[in-house]
Amino acid sequence: MAHQVNNIDFRRHLDRSFWSVTLVLAVISVILVVLIAIWPINGTLAVAATSDYGIDALFKFMLFVATPIFVFVNGYVVYFARRYKHRSDEPADAVGIPLYGVVPLEIWWTVIPVFLMVVLGVWSAVTLFSLYKPQAGALNVEAIGHQWKFELRYPGLKSSFYGDFYLPVNRPVTMNITSADVIHSFWVPQFRVKLDMVPGMVQQLHFTPTEVGSYPLICTEFCGIGHGDMRTTVHVVSQADYAKWFSGTQQKVAQAAAAAGSLNLTAGDAAKGQAVFEQKCSVCHSMAAFAQKKVGPGLQNILSDPAHPKLVDGSAATPESVAHIIQNGYSGDIGVMPNAQANGLSSSDVSNLVAYLKSQSK
Amino acid sequence: MSTDTIEILRRADKPIHPAPESFIKKYIFSVDHKVVGIQYFIVSGLMILLSGLFAEAIRVQLTGPHNTFLTPQQFDEAFTFHGTLMVWFGAIPLVTGAFGNFVMPLQIGARDVAFPWLNMFSFWTFPPAVLILLSSLAFGAPNAGWTEYPPVSLQAGVGIVFWTTAVFTVGIGATLTALNFLTTVIKMRAPGMTFTRMPLFVWASAVTAVLSLVATTALASALGSLFLSHVFNVPFYDPTRGGTVVLFQHMFWFYSHPAVYILIIPVFGIVSEIIPTFARKPIFGYKLIAYSTVSIALLSFMVWAHHMFTSGLGPWVTMPFMILSMLIAVPTGIKIFSWTATLFGSNLRLTTAMLFVLGFLSTFTIGGITGVMLASVPVDWHEHATYFLVAHIHYVLFGGTLMGVLGGIYYWWPKVTGRLMSEKLGKWHFWLTFIFFNATFLPMHFVGLLGMPRRVAYYDPAFHGLNLFISISAFLLAGAFLLLFANAFWSLKKGPAAGPNPWGARTLEWMISSPPPHYNFKEIPEVYATPYGYGEPLPYSAPYDQVSTTPTY
Ligand code: HEC
Ligand SMILES: [Cu+2]
Ligand SMILES: [Cu+2]
Repeated sequence: MAHQVNNIDFRRHLDRSFWSVTLVLAVISVILVVLIAIWPINGTLAVAATSDYGIDALFKFMLFVATPIFVFVNGYVVYFARRYKHRSDEPADAVGIPLYGVVPLEIWWTVIPVFLMVVLGVWSAVTLFSLYKPQAGALNVEAIGHQWKFELRYPGLKSSFYGDFYLPVNRPVTMNITSADVIHSFWVPQFRVKLDMVPGMVQQLHFTPTEVGSYPLICTEFCGIGHGDMRTTVHVVSQADYAKWFSGTQQKVAQAAAAAGSLNLTAGDAAKGQAVFEQKCSVCHSMAAFAQKKVGPGLQNILSDPAHPKLVDGSAATPESVAHIIQNGYSGDIGVMPNAQANGLSSSDVSNLVAYLKSQSK
Repeated sequence: MSTDTIEILRRADKPIHPAPESFIKKYIFSVDHKVVGIQYFIVSGLMILLSGLFAEAIRVQLTGPHNTFLTPQQFDEAFTFHGTLMVWFGAIPLVTGAFGNFVMPLQIGARDVAFPWLNMFSFWTFPPAVLILLSSLAFGAPNAGWTEYPPVSLQAGVGIVFWTTAVFTVGIGATLTALNFLTTVIKMRAPGMTFTRMPLFVWASAVTAVLSLVATTALASALGSLFLSHVFNVPFYDPTRGGTVVLFQHMFWFYSHPAVYILIIPVFGIVSEIIPTFARKPIFGYKLIAYSTVSIALLSFMVWAHHMFTSGLGPWVTMPFMILSMLIAVPTGIKIFSWTATLFGSNLRLTTAMLFVLGFLSTFTIGGITGVMLASVPVDWHEHATYFLVAHIHYVLFGGTLMGVLGGIYYWWPKVTGRLMSEKLGKWHFWLTFIFFNATFLPMHFVGLLGMPRRVAYYDPAFHGLNLFISISAFLLAGAFLLLFANAFWSLKKGPAAGPNPWGARTLEWMISSPPPHYNFKEIPEVYATPYGYGEPLPYSAPYDQVSTTPTY
């Protein structure tokens, strides 16, 4: 192509009007960048763990870079559209200037973005590696995703539990996260961290909660029909409150274990058990064949029908093993069965329920 | 067909295939690229409408934090069908099958694609695939989103088997079309049309064909593994039997990241045609635009794991993917800057097609910016799988692909039908679309950053107000499309005759009558330069140098 840039023609358009618009766009960009700089992100979404600071700063840096690009592209589009709009007094076949390109300009708008992306990339990489650094003296907690509940396990607590949980402020935490069924995700927006809970794999998440408060723990990876409700609360509390919560929970676990030991399974009253069943269990279970599932399986003939294999490693069910499940909950392929504490059962409720289930087994 | 045969056919006066006489040969089992293009347009257009209805159902559910309009099960099916229909059955066939088929052979001065019969076959894989997909609704529909990650996707009924079969089947058509287009661009260009004289839409179609050809095989493996897992219980994704769930994500995204570019690169081509036509000025930086398309395509194969930053790959794996993903912003930025610079010193005609393209420049820039944000792993850890991501993908695919496609529809409609559309109605359509598009998707960024995950039928009541606003905007956005249908009907019934070249454009499709005759070019033109030299004589051999380039609309 022998086309030459007609320099005179093209410079003619770099006039006062062009430069004053450019100046206005620059001023708008600067104002916006300043506003972003003084915008306290943590006023919009609280920051409650150390893992955040790097992330918020990176986010702001990207807004700094993006703002002028956005302002200039849109500003020039609007300005050119108004300035160069075909006028009715021009001939119908009027054309624009024969400008095929300006090489130095094209080099600039290649080189500057490369530079910015490299800066952003290196900064992001440094932050990324810091996120993977374990801290000394960290509290090791296990978080396990289930359809559709988070299970938490603390060192020193014999049984795991579902629902609200507590973390001490200013103590590093290592969350060991995994899943029992499908992929879930562990996200606390105020901590700015998220990792998937992947079955067959344990990932570690390191952070230090820094602000006392209650924050949502949300599953963000689609995990089935209960996904929208799969959330719980994490309470960040003072070291003293944490110790209190921990020993309280320890006691409750011990009491539950003691209650289970003192169960008198022969003295249950099937009629009372039926009343409890209708009130507490029938939301999830029907008194029908195993295959008649609601949330959990049908419970008829639980002590005689081998279709109930989940009970104790596939071995035949006994009143004791049924009691154990009602007492401690169970989570398997079908879903999560809450424990006696979550179902609000006393120990006599448990033995009555076992008697009732026994009476329904032929 | 050997090279020689193609060469002979290209030059021969004899048609590649004679003009069909029966209705069936003419409109149903046609081998004419123009008819195949229109067939693709109709079916994929219907799929987009259907997908839009699913989207509106989603938005109805989300007008309240605990609505009962849909059950969670139905809600999950709705977003699964919305995504699946939009990506594989709507947008991809639209930009390749419809636009590529109709426009590309005309722009290179060819009489048809290289393998016309294969082209017909590609299209006819499409309707059966649609039927298979829709029939899954009756057999335990797939419900884990268009991504269908196992293990959760394997918990669905046999619908997931239908789903994999349907997507696999459209994949066959897409692969064959890619092969066909690539051969066509390489072998069938008019004499004198060197690569650097090709219209930019042709560049885009060729590069897209390479992407489809290479990437679709990875999708096939992903689909095949799901199929085998569900039907034969093969434990690919069962960790208790030695499977690895994340493997699926690698195969899926090795296809689906390039697929994002299969969706947008043809639109870059459309935009690159519309801007010089209405700016009446050469496109700024032709070569840089063409080469940046190629570099985007190359990079697009090296960034798939940016969809998996939370999947547990570890820092040494995610870091290179992060930096390469950021680098894609460079060629993309080059395009946006070059298009904007083309407006400088122009003689601008603000037609509906041009307005959509200007709208595209604005919205696609936002999509590009949020893309860079998501590319940074630490920031992605906060944003991933939230409504921020939903906003990003819709700024890219609606604000980018669909906005550009709408421009393309208004631009080539007179060529396809021979009639003009109403500019007045078109401008209303543009402004309503542009306003309600932003009203729908801009607030999603904030909802996401503040803590709302995607794919949820219920949400924190704190987000009620914003969601209600988003839903109302989404209904109005859908309403705006009625203007497009009204315009199309009006044009087909009463629209004024377009003439061969209503916009005064310079690419080859405008050098022949509208609609083009069976066989396109009576004589194959010779080409002397890029098409974009506004103000200079047309760079084609007689009689194609005699066409008027004065706009007549
Ligand atoms: C929130 C729903 C829910 C409630 C309430 C509930 N269960 Fe369950 N239950 C389940 C699920 C789900 C399972 C199956 C767990 C699995 O195997 O995955 C189950 C399993 C069981 C089993 C073992 C059955 C088998 O064949 O493996 C027994 C026994 C049982 N539940 C008894 C009860 C009793 C008694 C109550 C009332 C105190 C009750 N459940 C309340 C959901 C529930
Ligand atoms: Cu979930
Ligand atoms: Cu991607």
